[in-house]
Parts: sequence; structure tokens; C-alpha cells
Amino acid sequence: MSGDILKLDGVGHRFGGFTVLRSVTLSVPERGIIGLIGPNGSGKTTLFNIISGYLPLQTGTIEFRGLPLTTQSVPDRNRSGMVRTFQTPKIFERMSVLENIMVGACKITRTGMIQDLLSLPHARGEMRQIRSLAERVAGEFGLAGDLPASTLPAGQRRILEIARALAGQPKLLMLDEPSAGLNREEMQQLIAAIRRINEAGLAVLLVSHDMELMAVASAVHVLNFGEIIAKGNMAAIQQNANVREVYLGV
Amino acid sequence: MMRPRFALVLLGFVLWAALPHLLTRHMTDLLVFTAIYTVAGLGVGLLLGQCGIVNLGQAAFYGIGAYSCAYLTVELGYPNVTGFAVGAAVSVLIALVVGWPVLRLTGYFLALATLALSIIASSIFYEWDWLTGGELGIGGIPKLDFFGFKLDTPGRFYYLAWGVAFLSMLLVSNLVSSRTGLMLRGMRDSSEATASLGVDLQWLRTRVFMLSALLGSIAGSLFAHYVSFTSVQSFTVDKSIGFLLIPVLGGVRSLWGVVLGAMFVTILPEMLSQFGDIHQILFGIALVAVVVLLPDGLMGLLRQAAGKLGWSRVSA
Repeated sequence: MSGDILKLDGVGHRFGGFTVLRSVTLSVPERGIIGLIGPNGSGKTTLFNIISGYLPLQTGTIEFRGLPLTTQSVPDRNRSGMVRTFQTPKIFERMSVLENIMVGACKITRTGMIQDLLSLPHARGEMRQIRSLAERVAGEFGLAGDLPASTLPAGQRRILEIARALAGQPKLLMLDEPSAGLNREEMQQLIAAIRRINEAGLAVLLVSHDMELMAVASAVHVLNFGEIIAKGNMAAIQQNANVREVYLGV
Repeated sequence: MMRPRFALVLLGFVLWAALPHLLTRHMTDLLVFTAIYTVAGLGVGLLLGQCGIVNLGQAAFYGIGAYSCAYLTVELGYPNVTGFAVGAAVSVLIALVVGWPVLRLTGYFLALATLALSIIASSIFYEWDWLTGGELGIGGIPKLDFFGFKLDTPGRFYYLAWGVAFLSMLLVSNLVSSRTGLMLRGMRDSSEATASLGVDLQWLRTRVFMLSALLGSIAGSLFAHYVSFTSVQSFTVDKSIGFLLIPVLGGVRSLWGVVLGAMFVTILPEMLSQFGDIHQILFGIALVAVVVLLPDGLMGLLRQAAGKLGWSRVSA
């Protein structure tokens, strides 16, 4: 057992004649926080989409919890224990905050549609169970459950998306630019939340431009034009000549 | 002391039970059709309001339900219940086989695919005259009876039709307020996000389509036994459009809105028929007026009125 929950080896991707990822290799240890930074267009979100199943794996291999990921669908990957958020939060606008989180918890239930139709005791019991779970998760993130989700400001939307993702009790949380649009206070809340989530046993793969947020990561990979050009802890990355050239042009 | 809500429900029940005795036979007949259309419209409304899927194929399942009863009871002499069961099974199976590939589509393409289903079914009903009687149809479908009590008048059939409609509403209400309902609404708001949370959208859509088909089939079976006659004219694309109008007019996210929509398409044309040749034009104007002026349908209008009167809420 390697101790890595996610392992990417030689992952490449092309859109037509344009290569967006070249032989990316990285791993996320169980209970680890790994950061992925890079300028716009470096391929970070493409990599996220490949891992989570929104784009097909063209070259290389991906292993999650020791099993190869090849053609599994997005829901199947989620059910195997990974969950992601999106660069632009995709919350359920016409539902309440609590209902949003409850949708995230639906996968841990076992009742089928016929039991739901007949409102059998087991179905009602599971509904109560996911409601109570969602209330607990909303409380942990300081979210008011009865608010319509559409009324939340940008920062709270991101927090809601993370809370919703966690309601399904995943093993790996993948956050795509979670700090975009957050104010200072919300940023501190986010950092605290990521640490808390990690301490509870979850591995985190974090994509961000934000160096302050990246400080929570135990190791950071730098992606540029589809290639990993540096990896290490944040202090080492900030001193890396290649990275300084990419980010600062010096 | 009786609670106001309970008193209101009791009053509504007494009024509902008394209606066939208070109304003319013709009006009771229209209310029977309202109930039958409510059942079919509920399926279309469930797809539209909870999944954002426009279903223009409901007449196909309505026809399957009707022809199953007609063929099995008249041609083969099977008991009435067999027609209901076979119609339901065939409809659910067809919804599974057709829905699985078709429900990968979205938006207009999906609407057109369901329209194609209705057109194909209509052609089959016409061409397979050995099964459907073609243009001549099948007559002499036996009236339903319960332990010798024959439902051979609008007044008697009214209770069965509305009983089925209320039961269907209860089941759909259960579904909407369950975890399946949560997933459906999630899918309606963001299918990408819902999939990322482990929900198999394809299977979820297909199951709801199967449920919608089941309701369409039951409505068709009720129709066949009520009018005792089936013909291709009853299951055309026009009928599918009518079924889609029911939740649109009533309010797509409201169960009672479906009842109002069903009343609109059954009772209003009859009321307007006194104006002679122009009654269809008047119905068209009324239809456009509701769609344009009432984005939340007739139920939205009721809610607004209730709000102005200071009533706490009108139940969905």
C-alpha cells in the first residue's frame, strides 16, 4: 500500500491539435493536502475534469484508492469517494441552503424511487437522516439552512458548494479555485475549513492562484503549459527559479 | 375545537362527494375528463416541473393504456384489470427502451424526440388495424364494475376517476418531497453539479419518464372504459400538446395546478362553445393570455389572490 489516495502517472490530453497536458505525474497522500498552481491556461481545470470524469483519459494512468480510473462516469467516481467543486460555483439556485446540502447527502441513502413514491417508513427515516446530517454540516460552516440559495453572496456560495460536497462523506475533496471572489474574512473561514476537513481525515487536492491559500498545502505542484515544472513545499516553490520566471518574469 | 385546516379539507371532501348530485350529467362528464387528464398531466408536469423535460409524447402512453384495455377485453375477453396491467407494463417497458437513449438529449432536441414518439405511436395506432381497429376503432369496451356495482354513468365513474387522480397526486407529492425529489430538483437547476454528487442522471430521468408513462397509461385505460370506445383520433399529437398544456397552464411546480390546468382544457372549451364558430379562437386567446400573463400559471394567480386576502398560503 503506497499511502496515496490518488495517483496520476503520465497523464496527457489534447484538444484537437493542441496539447494542454503533457505527462503530468502527481499523487495525493491519504489525509494530505496537495496544491496545484499555474497561470491561466496552464491546464489545471482540464486536469481536474479528467480526474473527476468530465473529460476522458487519453494517455497515462489514474489510480484512486488503489483502483484504476478509466471509463467510470462522473457519478461512479463520486460514489467511489471523490468529490469536486467548480471554478464557478454550481449551486442549486431554486433550492434552500439546507436542500442544497441534502442533495449532496443523497448518495449515502439506499431507498429507491418506489419506496419514495409510497413514502415508506424506511424512506422517511433516511430523509430525516440526511436532513439532520445537512443541518449539522450547515452549522459547521455557519450557513443558515432556511435561506434560499439564490440569495447568498459569492463567498457564501463557495462555502455552500464545499459543504454540499462534504455531506456525501467523501475521501478526497477536489477544490477548483475555491478562494476566487472571497473577501478577507471569508478567506480565513475557508482556510480554517480546509484544515478542519483535513484533520477529520479527508485528502484535499486544491487548485488555486492564491498563494495565501496554498500555504495550507503540504506540497504544491506548479503547472505551466501542461507540464509540472516544480513541486515541493510552498517556501521552496516561492524560491524556485522556474516558478519565479513563470509568475514574475524574473 | 376543529382546526381550520381540517375543517377546510372536510368541507372540500363533502363538496367533492356531492358534486355529481348537484351538477348536470354533462358537467359531471366534464369533471370525469378533468380527472383523467389530471392523471395524464401529472406525469407530464412531473417531468417538466421537477426535471425541466418537455414531454410531447404522453399521448403515446395514453393510447397504449386505452388500446390494451380495448383489445384485451373486447377481442380476447380478458377481465378489465388485465387491460390496466398490460397497458401499464407495456408503457413502462417502452418508456425504458425509448427513454434510455433519448433522455441523453436535452432542451429542444429532447422535446422533438418525444414529439417523434407521439407521431410514431399515432402512425402505429393507425396502421396496426388488426390490433387497434384503425380508423374504425374498437367499440363495446365493457364498463368497469366493482363487485357487481357497474360504473356506467358519469356520476358513478366520477368517484373512481377522482380517486385515481387523488391517489396519483398523493404518490407524486410523496416523490417530490422525498430524496428522489431533491435529486430531481438538483438536476433541474444544475445537472453537472448533481452528477458530481453521485447522482446517475440518466437512470433518474429514465425512471421518472417511466413513471410519467405509467400515469399516461392509467389515464388512457380509464378513458377507454369510460367512453367504451377507442379510435386513433383520441391519441394524436394534438392530445400530447394538450397534456403538456395542462401543467403549463396550471403551474408546473404545483400538483393542484395540474388539476386547474386539466379543468382549463376540458371545461373552458365547453363554456366557450356557446359562442359558436369562434369558440376555438376564443379558447386560443384565453390560452395565450394565461401563458403570457401568468408565468406561474393559474395556481400562481390563486396564490397571489390568497396573499392579497391575507391567507397564509395556498398549498402546493
